[in-house]
Amino acid sequence: MSVYVTVGSTGFDALVQAVCAPEFMRALGGRGFWRLVVQCGASLARFEPPPAVREEFGVTATALAYVDRPQWHIEQADLVICHAGAGSILDALRAGKPTIAVPNRALADDHQRELARELARGGYLAVAEPEDLAQAVSAGAYAGLQPYPRADPRPIGDILDEETAL
Amino acid sequence: MEMHVPLPSLAACGGAAAAAVVALLLLRLYFVLPGLGGGGAGVAAARRQQRRRRGKAVARGTGDTLLCVVLGSGGHTAEMARLLRGVDFERHRRRLYVVGSDDALSVGQVGELERGRPGDYRIAVVPRSRAVGQPWRSTPASAARCLARVVALMYRHRPDAVLCNGPANCVVVCLVALLPRILAIKRIPIVYVESFARVATLSLSGRIVYLLADRFVVQWPALAAQYPRAEYIPHLV
Repeated sequence: MSVYVTVGSTGFDALVQAVCAPEFMRALGGRGFWRLVVQCGASLARFEPPPAVREEFGVTATALAYVDRPQWHIEQADLVICHAGAGSILDALRAGKPTIAVPNRALADDHQRELARELARGGYLAVAEPEDLAQAVSAGAYAGLQPYPRADPRPIGDILDEETAL
Repeated sequence: MEMHVPLPSLAACGGAAAAAVVALLLLRLYFVLPGLGGGGAGVAAARRQQRRRRGKAVARGTGDTLLCVVLGSGGHTAEMARLLRGVDFERHRRRLYVVGSDDALSVGQVGELERGRPGDYRIAVVPRSRAVGQPWRSTPASAARCLARVVALMYRHRPDAVLCNGPANCVVVCLVALLPRILAIKRIPIVYVESFARVATLSLSGRIVYLLADRFVVQWPALAAQYPRAEYIPHLV
């Protein structure tokens, strides 16, 4: 079982640090995850997993700065942990993956939190802070989530057709 | 007898004429701006929205239109790619993508979303009106450069509709798209879809374009509650 962590197109030091912490590795091992892939963006330098992570926790940890095909990595994962950007959240929900969203407090007006909270209210994903991420994983907060309703962008086509018909 | 026209009265005439022109322009603006009077655009939109909800057929154009799509980094382009899956490219056979000059990523994404789809497209690169984090002091100059390029672009291509979802450049494109309508030359409808990321408050672009767009779509109910002209359509992306 594998976990894909993504910070999106900027960086997110607190999230990268949180997924390198020994208690997070212990939570992964305890839940049967043995593979951790972290897309770090500008926070690549923060990727410092414990030295004997494989021997001690049974987890192989890999870091990438950016990926060409984020969807491919999400498809490979059994759990997605992402910053609460709309793009990453949509990619994860549309792939039908259990998702934990971590709002990036450092961003302007903190509007990531609203989106994550609203989707969590619907039961579509779990929300965690960097500080309680390990706890969320070990408690299985990502289990039993609702599938997100299918996307239907056709109303936009209808609206354009109506407007150009005037 | 000598004609004597006092200068002040000439100036007064000029002033009155200028005031009349400004008043006419404002009146015209009132009638064409969808966010103000707009010829009952809001009412018509609500009626059409109701028809669609009841599953009735919608009026369709003859097709072969030029659709202007505004792209922008920071997730806007990815979301637009999802929205465009709902657009019939057999009907909107030509697409003009407006991309910011520092946004090479979006150029690549256009190739991806256009792959295998009918009709043809072109990409127009415009200077960014305002980069993320750019100081407001230098914004007027960059906005003017963007404006000049967009005016040239719209004059050359004369799109039949504008579709946008919130990057800063879309404000400029929407303003320019309204010019032919103000001058009674052509009506270029503007369709704005607020980002999926905006749950409780509109983006700055959204708050401006709310006054300009013929159709203003939001993806979360709290926004529709605050903005009466907004159409709430969930699960678009």
